[in-house]
Amino acid sequence: MEGTNIVITSGKGGVGKTTATASIGAALALTGKKVAVVDMDIGLRNLDVVMGLENRIVFNVIDVIKKKCKLKQASIRDRRVENLYLIPASQSDNKDAVNTQEIIEFAKILRKEFDISLIDCPAGIEKGFENSVVAADEAIVICTPEVSSVRDADRVIGLLLARSITPKLLINRIIPKMVARGDMLSHEDMVEVLSIELLGLVEMDDKVVVSTNTGVPLVLQRNSNAGEAFHRIAARLNGQNVPPIQVPRYRRGLFRKLRSFLGFIG
Amino acid sequence: MSSDFIRKVFGRSNDSKEVAKKRLKLALIYDKLEISNDILSNLQDDMVTVISRYFEIDRAAFKIDIHHAEDASALVVNTPIKAAKHSKH
Repeated sequence: MEGTNIVITSGKGGVGKTTATASIGAALALTGKKVAVVDMDIGLRNLDVVMGLENRIVFNVIDVIKKKCKLKQASIRDRRVENLYLIPASQSDNKDAVNTQEIIEFAKILRKEFDISLIDCPAGIEKGFENSVVAADEAIVICTPEVSSVRDADRVIGLLLARSITPKLLINRIIPKMVARGDMLSHEDMVEVLSIELLGLVEMDDKVVVSTNTGVPLVLQRNSNAGEAFHRIAARLNGQNVPPIQVPRYRRGLFRKLRSFLGFIG
Repeated sequence: MSSDFIRKVFGRSNDSKEVAKKRLKLALIYDKLEISNDILSNLQDDMVTVISRYFEIDRAAFKIDIHHAEDASALVVNTPIKAAKHSKH
């Protein structure tokens, strides 16, 4: 059976595309799927460091696309997560190095070799975005609860729909405390504004920084709320036992709960 | 007095996220009304061709523009006509 290529995109930079790609990829591989994570951010590669595989790069995605090497030669096997492979970006080429036809060919090879390939799209909506989307069958749009991110997500959703891809929404870096006091857009607000299907909610989590510091996959860290969320998202993508979307909640102390319950006591 | 209490009594209209949502909705509407200069100039060429079938017009004086007002946007086309063309069917 042919695999599926899923592009992970956002328009805006710095909202967590690379972390999401690495985490969902690892979580999917842990469920037994053969997964590739592909860094399409040509010239600005980062998926390799986030995954802790930066020392093992020999060939890169441009080498595969240009047929300078086989897909297997450029696929770096993650030793901690079975069935997970990284295809790193090229650091020296620029984004115009490849043409559409070459990418369509590359997408076919990916589908043959892997069950799921996650394509980490560069920020922006220029050539790098086009190249990533051409290879994709499905799309996940990452968005944080900020106006700039939501606006860019809306733009990207429009561009994807124009290419007959109906993306799903992943909301990242939710701060439940701020949502509770009305100072952050809730996921309901965002779904209302963007009107697309919700894939999952990931809350702000210090462990994400720890994970990228060390290069240890977030989904292998214990007690990480974000890590747990990515596990659930992977399961949902897999269609396995489809766990309901869990809304990050702000856990207040007993005293504050009591005060809030009584309402009038300052 | 707790801010929770104030919020309960006066509703949630002071929430900054409500401001964010309103601004976003408006921004997205305006974003979708924007049209690139290339497309606008293609439209102009097409319109000139169509109108020229029925009227002799001054191509140089043909003007096309999009006007945004508070609650509506309009495509405004303005062209002087020199003469009507009477088709010979």
